[in-house]
Amino acid sequence: MPEISVKLPSLLAQAAGGTRRISVTGNTLREALDDLKRRYPTVAIHLFDETGEFRRHVLCFLNDTSFRGLDSLDHPVADGDTIFVLQAVSGGRQQAGPPT
Amino acid sequence: MYKLVVGTVKGGFVFSSEDRRTWRAEPQIFRGWKLTAVARSRSGRFLAGVSSQVYGTTVQVSDDLADWRQIEAGPAFDTDSGLKLEQIWRFNTATDVMYAAVAEAGLFKSDDDGDSWHPLDGLNQHPTRNSWVPGAGGLCAHALLVDARDPDRVWCGISAVGVFRSDDGGQTWTPKNAGVTKTVADLEHPDVGFCVHALAADPDDANKIYRQDHMGMYRSTDGGDSWENAENGLPSGFGFPIAIDLKTRTLFAFPQESSEYRMPPDGCFQVYRSRNRGDSWEQSGAGGDGASFAGVLRGSLVVDSEDPCGVYAGTTSGTVHISADGGDSWHELRATLPRILCVEIFSNA
Repeated sequence: MPEISVKLPSLLAQAAGGTRRISVTGNTLREALDDLKRRYPTVAIHLFDETGEFRRHVLCFLNDTSFRGLDSLDHPVADGDTIFVLQAVSGGRQQAGPPT
Repeated sequence: MYKLVVGTVKGGFVFSSEDRRTWRAEPQIFRGWKLTAVARSRSGRFLAGVSSQVYGTTVQVSDDLADWRQIEAGPAFDTDSGLKLEQIWRFNTATDVMYAAVAEAGLFKSDDDGDSWHPLDGLNQHPTRNSWVPGAGGLCAHALLVDARDPDRVWCGISAVGVFRSDDGGQTWTPKNAGVTKTVADLEHPDVGFCVHALAADPDDANKIYRQDHMGMYRSTDGGDSWENAENGLPSGFGFPIAIDLKTRTLFAFPQESSEYRMPPDGCFQVYRSRNRGDSWEQSGAGGDGASFAGVLRGSLVVDSEDPCGVYAGTTSGTVHISADGGDSWHELRATLPRILCVEIFSNA
């Protein structure tokens, strides 16, 4: 089964036992994330909320592609791929109405 | 050795002292995380509530306040509850059954020294919940008292909702706010809509409870069944924290000028104390030479167990003020920290 590297932000290193890089396995992104939840529950709680969805400001890339640009988490992964976990840059406020 | 732990929006800061007057900074803990609550269980294990707006909230444990480990089975609302864990605002470790008060407003219980936490749905899904509305600090449970002589009696305070009491170990809860001025009127559930900020109880008699509320300072002698105003001598009834010296029963509070202004009334750091169980209040010793317009949040005023007691206050401007003589005199820690969310003092640490 393909082995995927997960690169974590420094804030989450303690939750991973002091390292910023962990390995998971899976044929798809979903399987790889399920493996992460199983093997690294103290990391997973920082990425997923009570409903199992990604936390709002957690941004993940598969190599150089944002998860948001993928069709679904059933996207296939290959040996040597890397998942990057990032803190989304967020801010501003939603426009209340149409621009005038 | 005394260890003073100061929780801020950007991590925890630990200071150690032999005499409560000279303090040495220890390495920062939880750098980059919000440290919202710290406590020590009866076994001696330290607990911390740590959160991030991005990465969620967890409980961490430590034997020495330096090396911390995140527990796996921390507080978590049921998937179908619709509630999200935002912060852990308070631990109560008075007995071997421990509690954690959290935002969104809820309560969790642990009976294994903090290794696992279980939601108390009697409060979390209380019949009045649809009338709970958040205050300026969010919809949060943050005040906890446990009757050490009858551990089934538990009090929980929720901002803009009120005080609840359980007489059966947290299974069922009843609002206890009679006599307190309401902040949010609700026709469907008139027994909620009270904005408690902090609670303190007499160590000899858990029925004697002191309540710093949004609408004033109150006390109860019947376990919260009724409350009376107790702010004689205070320049303002508004404030956030209240703490009690377990030896002399002296009360400490930090009044602020009204809900609108939220600053010390005289523009200086000033802790007030009551040495007659809330009958009257007086200024404690001066808190410093300069002007100060910072507040003290609900978890940022604590008292140690020495005689005379030490009193410790952290401000929203990141200053820490310490009295080693029961409030007669104060000195300021030589450090300016980020906004302070909680303060705890540990003896023999």
